[in-house]
Amino acid sequence: MNRFKTLMGAAAVLGAALISGQAAAFDLGIVAFQMSAETHARCSNTAEARAKEFGWDTQVLNSNGSLQTHAEQIENLIQKKVDGMVLCMSKPVQFDAQFQDAKDAGIPVITISSGSSPHTLFDVQPNEFVVGAEAAVYLLGTIDFEGGILAQRFESNAGARIRGIMLDVVLAENPTVTVVGSHSMARTKSWQDDVRNGMSALILQKAGQYKGIWASFDGQAFIIDDLLIESGMKKGDVSLVSIDGGQEVFRRIKSPDSMMTATVAVPLEDMATAAVDSMKAIAVDGKKKEEMVAGPYLFKPAILVDANNVDQYLN
Amino acid sequence: MIPKHAIEKYGTLFAGLVLFAFLMVFAENFASTANLLNVLKQVSFLMVLSIGFTFALIASELDLSFANVCSLSAVVIGSLMQAAYPWPLAVSAGLAMGLFAGLLNGYLVTYLKVPSLISTLGTASVANGLAFMITGGVAFVGRWDPDFLFLGRGKIGPVPVIILFTLAIVALSFFLSTQTKTGIHLQATGENEEAARRSGINTRKSKILGLALSGLAAGLTAVFLVANLSSAAPQMAGDFLLNGIAATLLGMTMFTPAKPNILGTIVGALIIVVLSNGLVLLGAQYYIQDIMLGIIIVASVAVSASVLKRAAFAL
Amino acid sequence: MPVKISTRNIYKNYGAVEALRGVSIDIHEGEVHAICGDNGAGKSTLIKVLAGVEMPDRGEVVIDGAPCRFTTPTESLKAGLATIHQDLAVAARMSIYENIFMGAELTKNVLGIRMLDKKKMRQDAAGYMSQLNKSITDMNIKVEELSGGQRQAVAICRALRWNANIVILDEPTAALGVRETEQVLELVRSLKQSGKTVILISHSMKDVVAVADRVSILRNGQNQIDLLAADLSADRLSHYILSGEVEQVQA
Repeated sequence: MNRFKTLMGAAAVLGAALISGQAAAFDLGIVAFQMSAETHARCSNTAEARAKEFGWDTQVLNSNGSLQTHAEQIENLIQKKVDGMVLCMSKPVQFDAQFQDAKDAGIPVITISSGSSPHTLFDVQPNEFVVGAEAAVYLLGTIDFEGGILAQRFESNAGARIRGIMLDVVLAENPTVTVVGSHSMARTKSWQDDVRNGMSALILQKAGQYKGIWASFDGQAFIIDDLLIESGMKKGDVSLVSIDGGQEVFRRIKSPDSMMTATVAVPLEDMATAAVDSMKAIAVDGKKKEEMVAGPYLFKPAILVDANNVDQYLN
Repeated sequence: MIPKHAIEKYGTLFAGLVLFAFLMVFAENFASTANLLNVLKQVSFLMVLSIGFTFALIASELDLSFANVCSLSAVVIGSLMQAAYPWPLAVSAGLAMGLFAGLLNGYLVTYLKVPSLISTLGTASVANGLAFMITGGVAFVGRWDPDFLFLGRGKIGPVPVIILFTLAIVALSFFLSTQTKTGIHLQATGENEEAARRSGINTRKSKILGLALSGLAAGLTAVFLVANLSSAAPQMAGDFLLNGIAATLLGMTMFTPAKPNILGTIVGALIIVVLSNGLVLLGAQYYIQDIMLGIIIVASVAVSASVLKRAAFAL
Repeated sequence: MPVKISTRNIYKNYGAVEALRGVSIDIHEGEVHAICGDNGAGKSTLIKVLAGVEMPDRGEVVIDGAPCRFTTPTESLKAGLATIHQDLAVAARMSIYENIFMGAELTKNVLGIRMLDKKKMRQDAAGYMSQLNKSITDMNIKVEELSGGQRQAVAICRALRWNANIVILDEPTAALGVRETEQVLELVRSLKQSGKTVILISHSMKDVVAVADRVSILRNGQNQIDLLAADLSADRLSHYILSGEVEQVQA
């Protein structure tokens, strides 16, 4: 029991250390829905970095993919009386009550890739429908709108699901292309294994029947790319197209060993920066929300990155 | 000089009070009525869920399925709400689902003699699979019947109704476990099954009851979660597994040391939620929270490991 | 003294193992009747049959002249037979009174709800305990804090609580020190004094000759020897158990 008290004491010291040095600067709360996903981390890290440039106090929270935790973290930030909130990959309907509370407490909320809510200022996003359509059309172009493709889907995530729907829309218009194999990823902690098992089976089983592979996000594409390399394929044998962006995928597009053909890079850094900049303009500089973003969305177009322009983005 | 047994019994409670006092002084807005009500609302979910786990553990059965069963119940409720069934039906179905899973665990443990560590892991996996089957991985989200949402979001005056429900559940559970024959039989079964059986206690009934209560609590928590978030997803209660166990273990460090007890679990849940609320108000970054929770678990297991081992390995 | 309880020609097999092969013992009211025998002689199986834990394949138990058949421990208890096992008797982390009233808790009606009557249980428990061990007065103490002899007292109190007329003590002194053993033997004498019939299973010849009125020796699942314990020495008894022979069988 004494050990326990010691720990509690340590917690107290830790807490005291954390609050010291707090000034009366603008207090921004940033919540990422699931930091273990790279896109969520990129979003919150960029927002945090930008806020620090302004000299703001920033606090980053991670909801670990739990809806209830996310709701509680928003509630706690409201109780903390933060001056503003930026939420990465939040959800408008589920957290309607919390958004309403924030609005009632006079706390401006800007969301990123979350969907619009009447209680938040606006949502910054690339428009997943556009992103999905771009990737699908590009992939079909690389195989001259003919033959088979493999698809790696992910239904549990709204954005990834929309990308899949857009693939289906593009396919509907191009019946000469058929999906010869499709695997849907389960949302588990070991999703990497799930993708690896599912796709390695399809790659073997359907060998020779496909010229292109579509993946709902880049993380999946990396695993597929490694499988293809292991199976002895060379660049150009198949085209592999996915969505998200980031240094790893750019490196693969550039690499002569990788099958990675193109990605539609979601400009998360631009989006997060824009969210924080808008927050400053509205909450600090006193600009009207309508002057910044008239409607519910601030669209930040995604950029298709392939061999042509990869050097521009690769650091 | 404080007697040793007083430290054993009340040390953790004292540490909790120190934490509370610390936050009152150092965490701005912590002691506001609004925030205290906020904390009580937030603790409701964890409290009800971990009370269920405690009942099973009192009978010396380890229920590792409660979080997944809670998610499954949530999905059942969500699917019926989405299909526009009357909400009392959806709520009943969710409770029935939880109760059924608990009874199933009880059957596996007492009739098929599968140790609870294994049988509840099996149930957890089945529940997870069913939740994905029902949803296809996609969350149910909607703007559902306000009467239903009232169960999770409603307030009477400034007091969230969920706090009132939880108070009732806590009172009932405390009464059942300490003031009734059923409760003491549960305890006797957990403490010395053979002695209990030979004293004429129906130990099989006790074990089934403990696990059934755990399932029912999971169903109840599902109702609160779904109504609070107006949505249901296949792993929405996943985070509660660790927190629920932590609350119970923490509870085992007080009042009746090394024995699972309802009062201890209540205080344990409060400490965990107060800590997570307090850390946000103190401005702590997200990873601090995980680190603190880990420390609490290890520390409380160090104090009360023997019981857990007995339950886990049916020694 | 009249015969209180008899076993009549009891058989019990576990698969190919014949644990009991026709055990017939008469136990007289108000006496301490010891049952001895080497390991595997059938002692524990006989106890299980009496306690309702195992059902015999053949034969019957007769109490006060009436044949009984126990399918559960509860039925045995209700027939006035309480069995106290050395290891299994108590829940160490529960209090004395909770142990004494285990499975037969007292309740009271509060607004139509049956609540535990803890006050009455504590009082009654103290009453039972005072018959056996006057040094223990706080019924809230956890059994794990008691000595081995005191724990046996708690277990015996439970038998008293059941109003058992027949108390079976299964190896009550095993793993106890000299002083604690003496305490337990004193408990056995108190039980006898209060008119209970005691069946004592023990490995300790010294204990048996110290308190028993009669002794039955089991060998290979049968009661081979039944004799009065008066003037019996521990050495003699050992000899009988090992050899299975006795110079002069007494009734």
